[in-house]
Amino acid sequence: MSATVRDRVAKALVYLVLIAAALAVVFPVYYALAGSVMPTRDLTKAPPALVPSGLHPGNFADVFRAVPLGHQYLNSVIVSGVITVAQVVTSLLAAYAFVFLPMKWRGAVFGLFLATLMIPWEAIIIPNYKTIANAHLANTYFALVLPFLASAFGTFMLRQSFLQFPMELRDAARIDGSGHLRFLWRIVVPVSRPTIAAIAVYSFLSAWNQYFWPLLVTDKPKMQTLQLGMSQLNNSESADPRLILAGVALSVLPTLLLVVFGQKFIVKGLTSGAVK
Amino acid sequence: MRRTLHGRRSVRIAAGLLAAGLALSACGSSSKGGSSGGSSGGSSGGSSGSVPGADALDKASGVVNLTFWHSMKDTNQKAVTAIVDAFNTKYQGKIHVTDTYQGSYDDAIAKYKTAVSSHTTPSLMQVYDVGTRFMVDSKQTIPVADLASKDGYALGDLQPNIVNYYSVGGKLQSMPFNSSMPLLYINVEAFKKAGLDPANPPKTLDELADAAKKLTVKDANGTTTQYGFGAADYGWFVEQLTAESGALYCDNDNGRTARATKLNLDSGAPLTYTKWWSDLVKGGYASNTGRPTADAQAAFKAGKVAMNLESTGVLGGYVDAGTKAAAPFTVATAAFPKVTAADSGGPVIGGASLWIDRAGHSDAEVRAAWEFAKFAASAPQQAAWHQATGYFPVSVAALQDPTDVAYRQKHPQFQTAIDELTATKPSTATAGCLLGVMPQARADLEQAMLNVATTGTTAEAALADASTKIAKLISDYNSAVG
Amino acid sequence: MFILYPLIESFVLSTHGSDIFGNSSRYVGFKHFSEMFDDPDFYTILSTTALFTLLTVIPGVLGALALVLLMESRIRGIRIFRSAFALPFAFSAASASVIFAVIYNPVVGIANGMLGHFGAQPVGWLTDPKWVLLSVAAVQIWLTLGYNVLVLSAGVAAIPADIVEAARLDGATGWRLHRSIMVPLLSPQLFFLTVVSTINSLQAFTAIRVLAPEGGPGGKAMTLVYAIYNKGFENGNSDLGAASAYAIVLLFIVLILTAIQFGVLERKVFYR
Repeated sequence: MSATVRDRVAKALVYLVLIAAALAVVFPVYYALAGSVMPTRDLTKAPPALVPSGLHPGNFADVFRAVPLGHQYLNSVIVSGVITVAQVVTSLLAAYAFVFLPMKWRGAVFGLFLATLMIPWEAIIIPNYKTIANAHLANTYFALVLPFLASAFGTFMLRQSFLQFPMELRDAARIDGSGHLRFLWRIVVPVSRPTIAAIAVYSFLSAWNQYFWPLLVTDKPKMQTLQLGMSQLNNSESADPRLILAGVALSVLPTLLLVVFGQKFIVKGLTSGAVK
Repeated sequence: MRRTLHGRRSVRIAAGLLAAGLALSACGSSSKGGSSGGSSGGSSGGSSGSVPGADALDKASGVVNLTFWHSMKDTNQKAVTAIVDAFNTKYQGKIHVTDTYQGSYDDAIAKYKTAVSSHTTPSLMQVYDVGTRFMVDSKQTIPVADLASKDGYALGDLQPNIVNYYSVGGKLQSMPFNSSMPLLYINVEAFKKAGLDPANPPKTLDELADAAKKLTVKDANGTTTQYGFGAADYGWFVEQLTAESGALYCDNDNGRTARATKLNLDSGAPLTYTKWWSDLVKGGYASNTGRPTADAQAAFKAGKVAMNLESTGVLGGYVDAGTKAAAPFTVATAAFPKVTAADSGGPVIGGASLWIDRAGHSDAEVRAAWEFAKFAASAPQQAAWHQATGYFPVSVAALQDPTDVAYRQKHPQFQTAIDELTATKPSTATAGCLLGVMPQARADLEQAMLNVATTGTTAEAALADASTKIAKLISDYNSAVG
Repeated sequence: MFILYPLIESFVLSTHGSDIFGNSSRYVGFKHFSEMFDDPDFYTILSTTALFTLLTVIPGVLGALALVLLMESRIRGIRIFRSAFALPFAFSAASASVIFAVIYNPVVGIANGMLGHFGAQPVGWLTDPKWVLLSVAAVQIWLTLGYNVLVLSAGVAAIPADIVEAARLDGATGWRLHRSIMVPLLSPQLFFLTVVSTINSLQAFTAIRVLAPEGGPGGKAMTLVYAIYNKGFENGNSDLGAASAYAIVLLFIVLILTAIQFGVLERKVFYR
């Protein structure tokens, strides 16, 4: 009897903590969405309104007037898509080489690879920018994706996963007479699918969220990515919270839907990636 | 992870390789030269190459294409495009200008730096006032005074105070384009409620402090519902007050006879204002919205702040916000305050100007850019620009333009700025300080002021600290210029 | 290659002066390094970086762990909770920072607005030196929470149900079940998250850029990565030599930390 009471109290406490935490986590999301349809008055009065006093979809039109968000959307999708595909392919090939190909200095080369994973991108952005500018590649998709076609992180994760690969299978495949590419495509890739999915998710999100590099190599609004368009709405000299929140709401809506409805897929992708 | 040992060895190897790289680069010195020269200062400025005459453009075959970098966004960007379109129509088949927005003034300068290295500078570039010293030191541009004297073109229609700022070594370096001035903004209703007369606004810092105390309103909880005063923690205001008091902000005649070596922060207006502002903040009479000017603007627009310092550029937005606010209010403007009533100086002109690149650009291109600069600064264009953006017209004649007179009748608040400017006699103090590292110096001063307002640090100590820091910055810059 | 060449270039840059365009000029040897080590600010930056990392990694990882374990208490609505906690995963650093900038506004922001409702005095979230680092850290934690929750949920889902059931039959419940069964089984995920979060926090840039330019009031939020940006780019600076010296310090710190994490933490990780 007392055990069930204690159980109930414990459960209620768990709910309470979870609900409080959920409210805290969700609030900024709610505020961005609610604020995106608020009239200026709601946002600039003190204290500001929590609930919109009316629907003002005009905010969205104003955002599109301020920055070419449609173009920037497309740019972000193209750039992130290309980077994701390229990183998966190059990581697969590189990791394959590290594990299955005989190579001199394998340890040293891999160590170098690992080191590049730890190098803060900000530390080397300057020379990279000079390379792009000198080659007159600014304002091109090429400049936006070029430095990111390979991924040390992806290679690292795939290598770790390949190391678990039973060597007998490789030997069996060799006896069957299948070459490296065939072996990679027919056997290694299907087995590593969860890791590949994890890398794809990771690559896509990091590419999608890039900020510093696109800022340096693009200056035409129509060539810029979504993150830049948004940050232009928040400028220290003039910031209209209405436009900022509407811009953010527009830009996160797709990823938000992805997280809510595609959660199962993402979790699956992360499972293997996190373990190794 | 069964391969721990392997992984760890890899890390060590990588670290070893990096160390080797470090040693290598330390051996290979590639000294490209560069003596650490002293201050060759305000002499002729950044001309590079000869001054082309009008015939260079006449002889050019086909269309001369110009690139124009600017930092105007939203409404202001549209106004820039309007000028460019009008110019392109006028010079159809002869000159074509392509304008591109380059991000904030800081971003644009950052891009300009790399453009210099890769020889891809634009034909024309809009640079903020505090970038003037840097542009001269870059030695990429041609002073507009040279082009004007070649043509016998009179620069007399330009506002003398504005010309004063952009002149280095007695020569106008760049074409003034967009100018703004500091004003005191007042919430009329708040004034009336506190029993103050909005028609007789405070004129000195002391009067401002008294008014701020009367204008501060608290509710039953003790929460402040209205601050008497609220301005951004912004170095520009300190520069303005210094000029108003007739003092120099930096040495070597505000950096105009030779490159400046230090800022005069530890006495006079900077010290007074820092103490004054931090006292108001600590007393609860002024809101502290930190360094972003947008945040201070938001507070005034929300009616949470009764008095605010800002540039003329925000006037339109303020009036608009006043009518749309939850508790609507009227906006009035007054002259920027002085430290004491006896101060005889005036404001420094803020804003930006157009620079014509010489290095790596053909004679025809330079001439075409000069045509555009003259066009953009002409009375009709400046009058339209003034009305579209709220920037102060750089052309004297623009103020007589009938459309502009009508505009000022509709926006009487703007007259304050014109009175303020015409009352100012150009002097070394009102020319403002030229400094290659002004943006960083401003930031350091703002940090010091914020430090005083939020911690126990004294104004004297904080400003002395900032002075030392800035002096080091300046000497690094001056030696980098060589 | 876009990593190795620039890396070497960074070392070269750090031993050279810079002209006003940021081009490297004369060779100065280790001057940038000796100036850096003589600068008291450098040590403030190091301790700020360490503090920021601790303030973000520990609550970020442990908080996510606590939430995930609480959700395992066989309660209803677990899917709704998990979705709620995962939401920040959808936000980029730029969009999250921008939202928080609006929320944190000292006078018209909703954070102080709500404090006012309860009669509390407003807080200078981003203007008070005491608060700025915490405010930025909160954004960073918020940003990583979704990812951490997703990763740990995935880990929990991967734990074979029979292990948990067996433990329950043995009488392990609540806290003990978690401590002696779940946490060890989640250790690979926890290890992974600690490594990734540490590297992410050390390299956090966007949130500071948006919320605390110049490292915020008193430079209280000036981390190593931000110092690189500050010396090399911010406010029209172009001392790429000094910036590169900071970059190299960052590089070594990340290298050393990663080595330590692999060496020490991994021993405590339980692998199935």
